[in-house]
Amino acid sequence: MAEVILMPRQGQSVESCIIGEWHKKKGDKVQVGDKLFTYETDKATFDEEASVEGTLIAVFFAEGDDVPVLTNVCVIGSEDEDWQSYIPAGATVDGAGQTAEPEAEAEKTPEKTEETKTEPVRSERAVAAQTDTADGAISPRARRAALDAGVDLRGAGGSGPNGRIIERDVQQLRKEGRVYTSAAGNAYDTRVSGTGIGGRVRVSDTTKPVAAADEPEYTDTKLPQIRKLIAKAMHESISGMAQLTLNSSFDATDLLRLREQMKQAIDGGFAEKLGLDLPAKAPTVNDLVLFAVSRVATRHEDANAHFLEDTIRRFRHVQLGVAVDTPRGLMVPVVRNADLLSLQEIAAEVRRLAADAQSGTINPDEIRGGTITVTNLGGFGVESFTPVINPPETCIIGVNAIKTAVRVEDGNVVGYPEMTLSLTMDHRAWDGAPAARFLADLCLALENISLVLMSGSYIGGF
Amino acid sequence: MHDLIIIGGGPGGYLAAERAGHAGLDVVLFEKNKLGGVCLNEGCIPSKTLLNSAKVFEHAAHGEVFGVTSENAQIDQKKVIARKNKVVRILVAGVKAAMKKHNVTVIADRAVITGKVAGGYKVEAEGKTYETKAIIIATGSDALVPPIPGAREGLEAGYVLTNREILDLDVIPETMTIVGGGVIGLEMASYFQTVGTKVTVVEMLDHIAGATDREISNLLLKNYEKKGITFHLGCKVTGIEKGRVLYEQDGEQKSVEAEYTLLSIGRRANTNLIGLESIGVYTERGAIVTDEQGLTNVPNVYAVGDVNGRCMLAHAAYREAEVAVSTILGKKDMMRYNAVPSVIYTNPEVASVGFSEEELIEKGMAYKKQVTPMSYSGRYQAETDKGDGICKLLVDPETNRLLGVHLLGSYASEIILAAGTFIETEMTVDDIREVVFAHPTVSEVLREAVFQLE
Ligand SMILES: Cc1cc2nc3c(=O)[nH]c(=O)nc-3n(C[C@H](O)[C@H](O)[C@H](O)COP(=O)(O)OP(=O)(O)OC[C@H]3O[C@@H](n4cnc5c(N)ncnc54)[C@H](O)[C@@H]3O)c2cc1C
Repeated sequence: MAEVILMPRQGQSVESCIIGEWHKKKGDKVQVGDKLFTYETDKATFDEEASVEGTLIAVFFAEGDDVPVLTNVCVIGSEDEDWQSYIPAGATVDGAGQTAEPEAEAEKTPEKTEETKTEPVRSERAVAAQTDTADGAISPRARRAALDAGVDLRGAGGSGPNGRIIERDVQQLRKEGRVYTSAAGNAYDTRVSGTGIGGRVRVSDTTKPVAAADEPEYTDTKLPQIRKLIAKAMHESISGMAQLTLNSSFDATDLLRLREQMKQAIDGGFAEKLGLDLPAKAPTVNDLVLFAVSRVATRHEDANAHFLEDTIRRFRHVQLGVAVDTPRGLMVPVVRNADLLSLQEIAAEVRRLAADAQSGTINPDEIRGGTITVTNLGGFGVESFTPVINPPETCIIGVNAIKTAVRVEDGNVVGYPEMTLSLTMDHRAWDGAPAARFLADLCLALENISLVLMSGSYIGGF
Repeated sequence: MHDLIIIGGGPGGYLAAERAGHAGLDVVLFEKNKLGGVCLNEGCIPSKTLLNSAKVFEHAAHGEVFGVTSENAQIDQKKVIARKNKVVRILVAGVKAAMKKHNVTVIADRAVITGKVAGGYKVEAEGKTYETKAIIIATGSDALVPPIPGAREGLEAGYVLTNREILDLDVIPETMTIVGGGVIGLEMASYFQTVGTKVTVVEMLDHIAGATDREISNLLLKNYEKKGITFHLGCKVTGIEKGRVLYEQDGEQKSVEAEYTLLSIGRRANTNLIGLESIGVYTERGAIVTDEQGLTNVPNVYAVGDVNGRCMLAHAAYREAEVAVSTILGKKDMMRYNAVPSVIYTNPEVASVGFSEEELIEKGMAYKKQVTPMSYSGRYQAETDKGDGICKLLVDPETNRLLGVHLLGSYASEIILAAGTFIETEMTVDDIREVVFAHPTVSEVLREAVFQLE
């Protein structure tokens, strides 16, 4: 019985996913647990694994296709089984109907009509060359044409997408002969374009740096879905709100000393000796900031809110967004009810969410529903910036680097560690004064973080 | 609006017009003087016609070694010039016919670029304005007249000549001094010495023939001296008077008798009075700056031939013209200068292609060298008496391709094409060894040299 694999629904809000990569192709045998394909939501990447054993008998979509959730993607069964009845609307591969792609069209024409059983004579060089060339760079049809013709594929320029060698290039190579001069030999980077007679590659082409001479001045790369979404969100944020940024600094002596103490307590083993319930890893400066925000935000109703054009929705608890820099781009996972979590719990949760975001396996539902966000560029030495609000939130807190500042004490100039917070607020939702008060409270809390952690008025402590 | 306007009807201009017209472009070509430019009217062709007369005369006058004696061989300079004019007329008519055949509109007037218009440029001539999408500037070059005291006066009076006047000189003077021992000067020196003038060449450098491989130019100097030409090398001309040329040698003032004086110290690109400033075309040291497609800094404006100062030879202009037209037509093409041959059409002939040994040394490039006497060629032996011709190869030891080929001897001008092809296509020495050369020909010396290479 054929088994149809659907595009899974990842989280309630996801309507479609993009197929990233196929790990199996039509005709492949699959075992339970084999990776079939990778698919991407707007923020994360998942692998779909086979839940049954059999042969992949139909593949309806290609890499890069945007497939609505719960749509048939492929069929596993036995070779003679029917898959036609599972063809979904919009299929682009099997069952794609009459909508043949132009590239497939172009490659069709030179197809040989009769199949001969005799093995074509192959030059050793052609075979060697083919093993030399990276697989992805040659279309299978071009590869076969090259084998049939016994031509060295390295002589062929790639005119397909991303310099892929397609059948047309092999035909041109057959027509025009080798494209490098005797003296240049054939040991050159295939990306070199020849400047010699008839476009042949000559000695000087083989010695000049490829990048400088032959690469175009720019490259165009299609944006991944996540980048498009970030672009849209950022643009909407800036164009749709009345954002302005307030900067305030505080003395980070207490913050740093506390962190140092916790580190020593953990590393020195006396936390154990005294029976202190300390985490295995000391919280980071950022964790302490998050902790402070989670506590202070509950006392500033407009800071922990959504601005919904005609309504302002103020939240009882703090859904704390944490901006994370990932290989795919910016992600903002949310620490749920951060105001109810201890410092240690916040630290652990942030570590987990960040790791999932980094690896691209984060559940899409975990990157939604924030009520206030913290973004940290301090690690890059940034001293002040204007963070961009995650709509419909009403503010975002930017964390900057700790640097040494000076002040006059008893007529002496003394240095102390100073951190600046950059608070961007949506002036539509609230005004400068309440926002400044919120920022001042945050600074006060951070300047006295030990007291905040001790105090009963703030739930938590260690 | 026209597709293409070409300014100048010399080799660069007329060939561009021919190719572009053939491709179906709507082309207008402006020529203020004569179609064919310097090359046909006062350069390559007239000088070669004269040199051929000298060769025939030399054979007639000195045929004894070959067993031919002709008493009283005479050269009639008036007839030489008349024949030259006929050759030029035929060739210019040929260019005219080619223009017609390829639907090129030829306007016989000076053209000036006057500015930009939407989607192109405007050019004025005959009091009319022409609009065009693209321009090829091919205004060529003129003889440089140095600020030597007496030079201008002499030109006006007629005893100082440039290439233009000397190729119409219908007398054989007693004495002639040639200022500048480059290719043009040497060809004229060779001609007049052969036909009976006492020729002196005054050259500022310590060698003749400009950038020619030194081994070749030294040998050439010996040949010329044997003919009777006097050379004053490392000398600076300080004045020209009627009847004599003053020069300075090692700080000493000297003079040499000169019924006529030829100025051949170089050529200056024609970049003035063509309106380059109206569209902002960039020039450097008097020549228009171009890239490998002949494109200037201004979009759709190209410069080919002598006016871009890259390689002042007619065949370079031809190829540059083709590259520019290809580029205009959207075809990928580029100008390569590494295999442009150059020839001195005297007796003996000199032909070179690729790097000279001096250039290789200057660039710090490794090379192997092979110098083979032309006497290895049976035909050279048969046709030349006591010839000292050579074939010099410079080879890249790493890739085994030819870097330079330099020939001195008969037919060098025709043989060089093969060498140029070897260099252009980067054939290796092993490849060349497989090429069959006709026997007996002087070109076989190339084959011999290739086999003599270690
Ligand atoms: C004596 C002599 C011998 C030579 N022998 C050789 C040789 O053997 N082999 C070789 O390869 N080369 C030789 N040359 C060099 C060769 O003549 C030039 O390289 C060649 O003519 C350059 O061609 P061109 O089209 O760039 O310019 P030119 O031939 O100089 O033609 C330019 C034309 O543009 C016209 N023109 C200029 N301005 C305007 C304007 N504003 N409007 C309209 N028309 C304009 C001029 O009247 C001229 O006809 C020789 C040169 C000389 C002087």
